[in-house]
Amino acid sequence: MPKRSILHMFDPMPNNSPFDINMAVDTGFDVLMPYNNVKLDSIHGLTQDAIFSRSPAGIKRTGIFIGGRDMGLAMDMIDTAKQAMVPPFEISVLADPSGAFTTAAALVACVEKQLKEKHNKELKDCKALVFGGTGPVGIATGVIASLAGAQVSLVDHMSIDAANDVANEYNRRCQSTLTGSVAGSDEEKSALIADVDIIFCTAKAGIQVLSNEVLAEAKQLKVAGDVNAVPPAGIAGIGANDASIALTSPEGAIGIGALAVGNIKYKVQHKLLELTLDSEKPVYLDFREAFSEAQKIV
Amino acid sequence: MEKPFILHMLTTAKNLSPFDVNMAMDAGWVSAIPYINVEASEVKDLVQDVIFSRSPKGLKNTGIFIGGRDTKQARDMLKTAKNSMFPPFQVSVFADPSGAFTTAAGMVACVEKELDEKFNTTLEGKTLLALGGTGPVGQAAAVLAAQAGANVRIIGRQLEKSQRIADLCNEEFGEGKINIQAGTDADKADYIKTADVVFATGAAGIELLTAEHIASATQLKVAADINAVPPSGIAGLDAFDNGKAIAGSQSGAVGLGALAIGNIKYKTQSQLLKQMIDSEAPVYLHFEHAFEVARQIVKSTK
Repeated sequence: MPKRSILHMFDPMPNNSPFDINMAVDTGFDVLMPYNNVKLDSIHGLTQDAIFSRSPAGIKRTGIFIGGRDMGLAMDMIDTAKQAMVPPFEISVLADPSGAFTTAAALVACVEKQLKEKHNKELKDCKALVFGGTGPVGIATGVIASLAGAQVSLVDHMSIDAANDVANEYNRRCQSTLTGSVAGSDEEKSALIADVDIIFCTAKAGIQVLSNEVLAEAKQLKVAGDVNAVPPAGIAGIGANDASIALTSPEGAIGIGALAVGNIKYKVQHKLLELTLDSEKPVYLDFREAFSEAQKIV
Repeated sequence: MEKPFILHMLTTAKNLSPFDVNMAMDAGWVSAIPYINVEASEVKDLVQDVIFSRSPKGLKNTGIFIGGRDTKQARDMLKTAKNSMFPPFQVSVFADPSGAFTTAAGMVACVEKELDEKFNTTLEGKTLLALGGTGPVGQAAAVLAAQAGANVRIIGRQLEKSQRIADLCNEEFGEGKINIQAGTDADKADYIKTADVVFATGAAGIELLTAEHIASATQLKVAADINAVPPSGIAGLDAFDNGKAIAGSQSGAVGLGALAIGNIKYKTQSQLLKQMIDSEAPVYLHFEHAFEVARQIVKSTK
């Protein structure tokens, strides 16, 4: 009898995300096991318990998912899990804390596509801002865009120190070249966006970050993407369903809404879970693989 | 391919009840996923993660169960869950904290049946004592009986607590349309003289009604006890009793034991879990729905 497939879901939070549960079941995992309040120093032991309880053939049907809310912790966990493998006792691991890796990958891939199609530009030619840049989706967006060659600044709405700290931490971890910025008031935002090509909005749901008036100051803007699906939109003039809408001001700029990004995110996460379930050889999947899958999908 | 059935099981306690997990699996849910130590403030986010990760069609095969130990909290979480969804992104939700809603429904439905069969009457206008009635099962049973027209008094060890629970039942669960009274154990011997119906929902192994109480209860028609651990909560009543005359009763009262009630409770919970799977439109189930189902089950097993 073939072994049933098992996804061990390690989560540092008190509970897993029901979103990830639904996605994992719909990908075809037979059994999901939640592990809550998992600390980094438990990952080694948990991983070895997962690999040593099945034969090398059986563990092909076994995977690990790492959730949580903290991107740095998730990256440490996936590294630790990888180091705990003892070939041929090796299984696939996917990290997607808060869905941030797949959401960010989808956002950057959608923006990249519009840049190319409507402006004939590459990310490496562009200057970008990430509003809500110190949250999980914002950091992952910044890192992905930076590694793709864009000149990216993470924007915090309160503290330049917080933004710089996050930028430095992830530059160290991911070899990106992020900088930090702060913009709370409309004046600060107007000044900041005057010369950027790309605006990513990953701020809290239901908060308008850029009004029409402020957005009009972004004279160089080519593409803006928003992941906030709860009205009002994070960027004025971009509806959640817009896959590619021409903004009235600044002229020529394209907007991408949350559900258009969400649709790609969903497909990316599904694909990564499929790879975790089906790959012949074990795979270790984080925001990098999420981005390359998102690029293929768009 | 049809999406597998997933039941997201939320509890404020530190574990789910294995009872609920078994029931969910046996009702046809394929995955039962625990979310423990859930706080009321977390319900909205959890529910929205549930509804945004499947298409409206897939959501038909998705449900939320709310457990825990606290009836008010479970009822509030059910309301929050319902209010966190919007068409067409909706799933069914069923609250049954400590199994109390289905247990209470089973008990009240069984009592109604005995009143009808043995005394040709209903709960309407009956004097009813809910002994040990401050706990989850006692609360839900008191409310159901009051809604059916009984004059209910919740009896506990401390009057203050009984009164607080009675107020909670009247306002929160009965929406101000019922008027449950409160009383204390010390006055039990007086209250029992005029009682038509008694519910015993106290802690396991505590005798709430003695043989002397039974002998003095000259109006008593039906006594129901959910305690399956000897000694029973009502003297002379056995866990297996299902409408058997209570020894020593002057009024010909009959008894309902824990296993007779448990049988209906079990079927009720199972049917509600299946209703979540089968229903075309999302359903939001609590003690009132449990009672409707329990009444039908009792009728069909006549």
